[in-house]
Amino acid sequence: MTPANDALRYDGVSFTYPDADAPALVDVDVTVAPGCFALAAGPTGAGKSTFLRAANGLVPHFTGGRFAGRVRAEGRDTLEHAPRALADVVAFVPQDPGASFVVDRVEDELAYGMENLGVGPAHMRRRVEEMLDLLDLAALRDRSVRTLSGGERQRVAIAAALAAGPRIVVLDEPTSQLDPQGAEDVMAALQRLVHDHGMTVVVAEHRLERVAGWVDVALGFDRGRVTGGDPATVLRMLALGPPVARLGWSVGWDPAPLTVRDARRAARAATLPEPPGAAPAAPGPVLAETAGLTVAYDGRPALREVDLRILAGEVVAVMGRNGAGKSTLLGAFAGVREPSAGTVRIGGHAPRPGIDAALCPQDPDRILFADSVRAEVGATLAARSSHDDPGAWLERLGIAELSARHPRDLSAGQRLLVATAATAATGAPLLLLDEPTRGLDPDAKARLVRFVRGRAAEGDATVVATHDVELAAAVATRIVMLGAGDVVADGDPAPVLGDSYVFAPQMTRVFGEGWLTVEQVEVALA
Amino acid sequence: MSRTAGAAIHPAAWIVWASCAGFAAFVTTDPVYLLLLVSVAWFVHAGAPRTSTSARSFRVFIVAALVAVVLRTALAFLGALVPSIGAVTASTIAFAFLEGLRLGAILVVFGTFNGVTDPFGLVRMAPRRFHEPALAAALALSIAPRTIASAGDVREAQRLRGLPVSGLRSLPSLAVPVLERGMEEASTLAESMDARGHGRGTRSRYRPQGWSVGAIAIVVTSIVAAGIFLGASIGGWGGLHPATSPIGWPAADPRLLTAIALLATPGLVRTEARP
Amino acid sequence: MNVTIDTRPVAEPTPWLARTPRIRSALLVAANLLGLAAFVWPFLVPSLAGPSDENHAGDGPWILLALGAILLALLFLELGRGGLGPKTVALLGVLGAAMVALRLPGFVAGFSAMFLVVLVAGNAFGPSFGFLLGAVGTFASGLFLGGLGPWLPFQMVAVGWVGAGAGLLPHGRTWTTRLTWLAGYGVLSGYAFGVIMGLWFWPFLTDGSALAWSPAASTVTNVRRYLAFYAVDAFVWDTFRAVGNAVLVLLVGRPVLGALDRAARRMRLDVV
Repeated sequence: MTPANDALRYDGVSFTYPDADAPALVDVDVTVAPGCFALAAGPTGAGKSTFLRAANGLVPHFTGGRFAGRVRAEGRDTLEHAPRALADVVAFVPQDPGASFVVDRVEDELAYGMENLGVGPAHMRRRVEEMLDLLDLAALRDRSVRTLSGGERQRVAIAAALAAGPRIVVLDEPTSQLDPQGAEDVMAALQRLVHDHGMTVVVAEHRLERVAGWVDVALGFDRGRVTGGDPATVLRMLALGPPVARLGWSVGWDPAPLTVRDARRAARAATLPEPPGAAPAAPGPVLAETAGLTVAYDGRPALREVDLRILAGEVVAVMGRNGAGKSTLLGAFAGVREPSAGTVRIGGHAPRPGIDAALCPQDPDRILFADSVRAEVGATLAARSSHDDPGAWLERLGIAELSARHPRDLSAGQRLLVATAATAATGAPLLLLDEPTRGLDPDAKARLVRFVRGRAAEGDATVVATHDVELAAAVATRIVMLGAGDVVADGDPAPVLGDSYVFAPQMTRVFGEGWLTVEQVEVALA
Repeated sequence: MSRTAGAAIHPAAWIVWASCAGFAAFVTTDPVYLLLLVSVAWFVHAGAPRTSTSARSFRVFIVAALVAVVLRTALAFLGALVPSIGAVTASTIAFAFLEGLRLGAILVVFGTFNGVTDPFGLVRMAPRRFHEPALAAALALSIAPRTIASAGDVREAQRLRGLPVSGLRSLPSLAVPVLERGMEEASTLAESMDARGHGRGTRSRYRPQGWSVGAIAIVVTSIVAAGIFLGASIGGWGGLHPATSPIGWPAADPRLLTAIALLATPGLVRTEARP
Repeated sequence: MNVTIDTRPVAEPTPWLARTPRIRSALLVAANLLGLAAFVWPFLVPSLAGPSDENHAGDGPWILLALGAILLALLFLELGRGGLGPKTVALLGVLGAAMVALRLPGFVAGFSAMFLVVLVAGNAFGPSFGFLLGAVGTFASGLFLGGLGPWLPFQMVAVGWVGAGAGLLPHGRTWTTRLTWLAGYGVLSGYAFGVIMGLWFWPFLTDGSALAWSPAASTVTNVRRYLAFYAVDAFVWDTFRAVGNAVLVLLVGRPVLGALDRAARRMRLDVV
């Protein structure tokens, strides 16, 4: 047996899923040192998830398929040890922790893994207490796991995976469902594990701006091949990075900054002209309007006296922390949240769901049911008695080549684009997108941005509820900020985002109010 | 020991109590014994810590018990409509009424049982060999509310996408997403269980359920009570089945009355609210 | 070096009874026959309960206790076979939750949409899984709705049999064949479930009428009596279940079976 100098060691690992044409991993040689915080980055389908699942043998024991090479976790060969036999070596946290809970109470959930290993009651009790402290969960110990917020759930899942004593933690997109504050909490907790306890952490993540600043090394994934190195180099190679890094590459800062702090330092020398003014929006006619809109659940208002007008050709980003009322506002525009006071009007009458306004849910799996992408869009068109060609809608979202595929066989990002096409195909003048960037890689995000801008150019309106400040900065013509059910800000993106601590995009943080996107700054610096 | 161990009565003690009380009701059609058993079950239920859901479940059982009595009696009248059965007499009605009362009493006993036990506690108690099916049942319990919510979400989402959501034809567009999401969750869950060592070998228990003095007392008194009824049933004493043709007075044997009183023990044992 | 991994769960220490496959399947068949006997005994052993007296109410409890014990033993034998593995447990949990969810709103007379889950899952994943799901899902909905009582083992076994039967149907080459079989079985099992569940309490309706069980009568007489009782008491009620099953299977069977088959492939399911 190899001495466990490395926490994780992949030797010549290749893997092909059953029924797949192309390999998911190709000849991967990677070592991760103990006490290292590593990021797995790369586009969707490049092999990140497969790589993480190979660390504890879920690939290939759980999935089947053709596996070559060797993976060792603290010296234990994953071919000889099934995942359950590696439970005390590698902690695995799946993307949707809500679905991974086995028992009902937080405390019992932490103990479940140790029960499986036959840990004695006294020892178990002590470990549970430690885990509660380590991830700051003591206040939640008696709660039902079903009642936790996204960030809490993620931390409980980490604690539950760690309780049996592994020193390696692999996490699949741990912040994808969290608002910026929740993501920050989770990353801070992970860093504490690395810094204070010498654990080894590997995260796969799309939202690089959230993680790039925390990690020691990055593993760059490209069609199953992996290159390791320091984060700046790897992200450069992949041409994937947070906005500050992308700016750094294009204007030639070396090393390119990964954090806002580094970028400020690098930008000290740069002089910028006056920030660009708000894009001169051609104010169209009023499309949708709320007056004194209040929506309450069980007497508790989720929205309070909201007055908003959506003009034709606008792209409005609705922002705010989880529970601020974003989804309720979208629901009210869509006609499925009954106002307890005030009115919502589209084209002069109460909105008819699916006709005046259509909403694409944040989880595309809520609406996908047909057995091909084309049939999925066709189902919407048939329901609206439209004779449009489904292909035209796929074209507009840049997914025409997926037409014959089964929606279930697509990546999360592709599925979201399909769901967006199926929703937009209603032809409703107001399209509502609820948190559309979950699991979206930059390429899919770019297609979505193009589509939304295209709608605006045609005079249709889009309302996007999102946490993703970079998306809002890229696409919105107006920002509506919600806080506890009130509209706390409403206006052009530059001043609204510039004025926010939490929601300021990186360019604003570096260069000050008025600068929103990398493109703007590039032009100005050129 | 875990902090809450011993605070609640061991679920097995409740099973023993319900089985014994149910047995007692089963072997008799004497209205005196049956009505006393119903009041004992009521007393036990009133003395136990409750949640709103358990109170609702108890009410459902009470209604079911009343329906059982009425229906059974009504069925005796209905018998007159079938020519071959013959006439309806006071005897047949009294007999049917007592049968209904017996069923009703059993329902009330199990209503109490359902009202006082914690489903998760029951499932946790499963013997080691049945850990996996019991775990599956516990998972079904805790996932069910999410499945219901998911069905509501899917329905609303399809409506917002312009699809019809009522009528049989809309069923595929509602059923498939709910099922697909469920299967996705099952996959995540299975991975997570595997990664956390499920099925690795001998398990230990984090929350061993303690046997308090009260729980033991419940078990002992319940078994004694059931034993007395058993003796009466085998020995043919105590007037378990009052005559219905002709209708006679029901008996009230002191030994059996004592047994019924013993079954009230859970109502006297102090229990703390369960977690 | 290329290794193709066998995805079957790592061997578990199996109880001695289950060690040899032949003993195990013989045991299973025997257990299920015994379970069946627990339902149909009133026809087989008319003299067991002794001479008929006017109020033979004293006999019922004994017989019922014995029945419950037999069925519990069958359940334990079937459920306790070691090592289901995380995939099966997770699937049972999720599909059992669907049964719980559908049992709440979806019933019209004897029909409950809960049966759809048992039918399609049994058909997709085989008889063992079908039995397990029927039993576990019924137990869970009993817990969820507060329906624990002596009737529960009977329900668990009966619903389990519905699922096991769905797993024994031929799949055929086309969807039409598979769905026709399943829909036909839906009708059949809709009635069979009612017939078998009616049996467990029928002997206790001892009102001496022509519809009631008579311990002294011959098997043929009792079968005739029971069928008369069933026709009066439950036939219409069960027709809702039979028709409902078939309609649901024909309506959503194909996409739902498609989804289950795909999930089974994706999860590399070797169920039980």
